[in-house]
Amino acid sequence: MRDLPYRWIEAIQDRRDYIEDQLRLGSPVVGLPYAQGSLLLTVSKGAQKIFEVHDRIALSAIGHPADIERLRMLVTDTASVQAFQSATEDVNLHRLTHYVLAHTFKQAFEAIVGEAYIIKMLLVEIGNGDTPTQFTHINYDGNVKVQHESAVIGGTTEIENAMQDYLTAAQTDAKPDLPTALQLALKTWAVGRGLSQRFEDADDNTEVTDEQLNDIIKTELADREIEVGVLDSTLSGDTKFRLLTQDEIQAASGTN
Amino acid sequence: MMNHKGDFLSLLKNADTLQVDGETRRESNAKALIHGAFQVPSDGKVSHGTTLEIPEATTVVAMRYKEGIIIAGDRRATAGTAVVHDRAEKVLPIDTHSVLAISGAPAMAYEIARVLKHSFQYFRRSQLQELSVQGKLRTLSRLIRDNLPMAMQGIGAVIPIFALYAPQTDESENGGKIFFYDALGAHFENVDFATTGSGSVWIRGVLRYLDRWGETRLEEMDQQQATITILRLLDTASEYDAATSGYNAKAEIFPTLKIITRQGIETLTDQYLSECYTEVT
Repeated sequence: MRDLPYRWIEAIQDRRDYIEDQLRLGSPVVGLPYAQGSLLLTVSKGAQKIFEVHDRIALSAIGHPADIERLRMLVTDTASVQAFQSATEDVNLHRLTHYVLAHTFKQAFEAIVGEAYIIKMLLVEIGNGDTPTQFTHINYDGNVKVQHESAVIGGTTEIENAMQDYLTAAQTDAKPDLPTALQLALKTWAVGRGLSQRFEDADDNTEVTDEQLNDIIKTELADREIEVGVLDSTLSGDTKFRLLTQDEIQAASGTN
Repeated sequence: MMNHKGDFLSLLKNADTLQVDGETRRESNAKALIHGAFQVPSDGKVSHGTTLEIPEATTVVAMRYKEGIIIAGDRRATAGTAVVHDRAEKVLPIDTHSVLAISGAPAMAYEIARVLKHSFQYFRRSQLQELSVQGKLRTLSRLIRDNLPMAMQGIGAVIPIFALYAPQTDESENGGKIFFYDALGAHFENVDFATTGSGSVWIRGVLRYLDRWGETRLEEMDQQQATITILRLLDTASEYDAATSGYNAKAEIFPTLKIITRQGIETLTDQYLSECYTEVT
């Protein structure tokens, strides 16, 4: 197939269509900073979706659970070995993204006879001294997008754009406290969720009201749970990651 | 992918060839570094009775008190009769609720503490749950046993105290646990107290006496009483053991004291210790 370039391009396009179709209904993930650190939020049905990678790095993804697990282990292993062989300070998100993940994603995507990873990944590293907080979005084809203010992943580019627009419009210069940030993240998640549901019914891109967002959240939470992982720079010890308990999430989000 | 089956130590020991989806990367130094850490020099020239002076000797002590565990160590590192360092840290936090207090050759002890810390973290990050208490104890056993050749050569024995607080313990009970190891890696749970290092012989009997016949049993002491008791014990050890340092008022060097409670590990500040010292002297 490789000796026929047009067929290769066609195969890649087929693969892209297939992966995007698989990802379309994935539960979005929102990452944004708050006063003491950064949070990742999603809504899931039991299985954990937000993970600790290293002292100051966390990960979440949408896609096939087996692919998420495989790539999560790859990045966790690499970070752990690098930290042991050198020092924990030498582990950083830039290196993990560019030297480990991005090329692995790209290689799998373009090897058209092999299996592709059905995944979109969002990683966050909280700032330390001169290093700013960084959100890194890695697409299934290995494309990397780095942001500092906030980031989202959703089933399609349109969903991501709508979520990012909502988030950027609502964010202020001052970093919010945890409950405020959590509520904003949850509404942003609902923007993405609502859009992915409407794609199912009709091509409707009209803006949603606050009330509609609350309805979406209420409906979705009937059989799902909010999951929030924080990198809290005020935690004592090297590890800054922790998952919030359901009690903490309910208290902060006002849901129950 | 790397083939380690969730075993961090194996992952590290075999880290010379990391396979990432068919692409092999050489990490040439890793294996030598990690293997080298636990092996005796192959020429066999280093043997018992060598003139090689390895800094060792210490007093570390841990005891259960009302809220958990208090664990402490002096700050002196010696080589023969020479004091090589007076600000050594011998009480090392391993994770949020466990601490290793080391006696013996510092090079090996620090390496064991480092491997332990990384192993616990790696288990939590990869398996998405904390390593069990038994799992933690066995990991440390294995590291001490791996170090046996060095201990047999008389140059690298490490005898630690491992103390932790099990946060899942019922609110009404004290979840603090103290474990003592021998050079072969066997662990024993010491219910009330443990001490090791060259100065420990001078205070073990005192601990036993206080626990049995003291005005307040060790486990019933509050934080201040426990702190004062520990400071007095270290002071006693330093009186009789040249390799244990006491409180150096001139240089303001205090022993290291940490408490492990349900809330986690807390290092007692110099200011707090300074206030407690007024009760000691």
